Amino acid sequence: MSKLTCKKCILDSDIPGITINEESGLCQFCENYTPMSSEEKKKYLGIIEDLLKERSGKGEYDVIFALSGGKDSSYGLYKLKKEYPFLNILAVQFDNAFISDTAVANAKKMCEIVGCDYFKLTMEEKLLCDTFRKAAESTNAYSKFARYRASDICNTCISIIKQKLVEQAIIHKAPFIVFAFTSGQAPNPIIDLQVNFIKWSRDIFEKQLQNIGVDDKDESFLLKNEIIKSINKDTTPIMLHPMCLWDYNEDKIVETLIDLGWMPPKINDSNSTNCLLNAFACQNHINKYDIHPYAFDIAGLVRSGDMTREEGLEKLHKELSEPLIEMAAKKLEMDLE
Amino acid sequence: MEEIKEDIMAYLQNKSFMDSGTQLNDDDSLTMKGIIDSIGLIEFIDFICEKYSIEIPEELLTPENFDSISGIVNVIQKLTK
Repeated sequence: MSKLTCKKCILDSDIPGITINEESGLCQFCENYTPMSSEEKKKYLGIIEDLLKERSGKGEYDVIFALSGGKDSSYGLYKLKKEYPFLNILAVQFDNAFISDTAVANAKKMCEIVGCDYFKLTMEEKLLCDTFRKAAESTNAYSKFARYRASDICNTCISIIKQKLVEQAIIHKAPFIVFAFTSGQAPNPIIDLQVNFIKWSRDIFEKQLQNIGVDDKDESFLLKNEIIKSINKDTTPIMLHPMCLWDYNEDKIVETLIDLGWMPPKINDSNSTNCLLNAFACQNHINKYDIHPYAFDIAGLVRSGDMTREEGLEKLHKELSEPLIEMAAKKLEMDLE
Repeated sequence: MEEIKEDIMAYLQNKSFMDSGTQLNDDDSLTMKGIIDSIGLIEFIDFICEKYSIEIPEELLTPENFDSISGIVNVIQKLTK
């Protein structure tokens, strides 16, 4: 049967697991999609504001913010501080051994602009490269659900970030962790992390690391068990994703950032403005599963109206950068056919 | 019980790309079988709360209760009584 593309988003019948209803012309996600209304968004923003006001000012920081230095997180930090100027924020940038110099400069610049503390979370480069290589070489280490959300390399990287940000929040007694995920990446705006869930997520990630052949005995990537024990049950952190409630327009975001002094990336990657490993990770994922790891994310943005279908299709079909792929493959000591 | 189970299976098939042919026993671990992960669980738990109008207390949020079809069905039955 010839390829059918969803009439509403960009998912097509060639993607394993995607079915297009021939009658409606829609994929199963668009068929079951109920958009969040502006009233609902307003309601969630009200809840977030109340929570921030109520719980801030009690710990060393109010918010641990995941800052990559890319456009979304840079804008997210700026907007968060603009909307809630009373917040005392620690922005954490994870140096995954592949972040660009521009991303580091941008992250520091954004912290200066908004007046928040900056912390670069570093790890041994060899350990990171070994882990990413094992993620690239593995198949089926992550759930099917995860495979559609991101590449195996990105799933490993983002899981490390999540584990370590929760750890930072516990250490600094910060009541909030904020990620600048878009509506396509994280549809839930408020996640109340409970101790049992934190422990369970840690154990799931430990098993996923074992699946790719990594035994993290030193808890370099995992949330340290000793730190979990120190959690006060009444003050477990809440994870917030406000970007999925704010208006999202890529061009306007970049425009705003450039006006602020943020430097556009010099890397030629349509899906990342900060990570030099991303193109390799995408190619590796496509080779293994025949799935573009950004397809679902882009489809979510198109479905919610934050991106036009034409823009989405163009982004999805843009060729991956060969020089970036080669550079990352060399650093990981891998061949990529 | 069967209705709850059908709802859950339909959700997993729609949201987690579990193939319709996947053999899943009631006691199989959803995370170990690679069907869902921690991020998926958040959405899944949200779906359960909304669908059955329940709130899940912290002490029930454990793998014993949420990592298998039988555990989930038991919790929903307990909380909707």
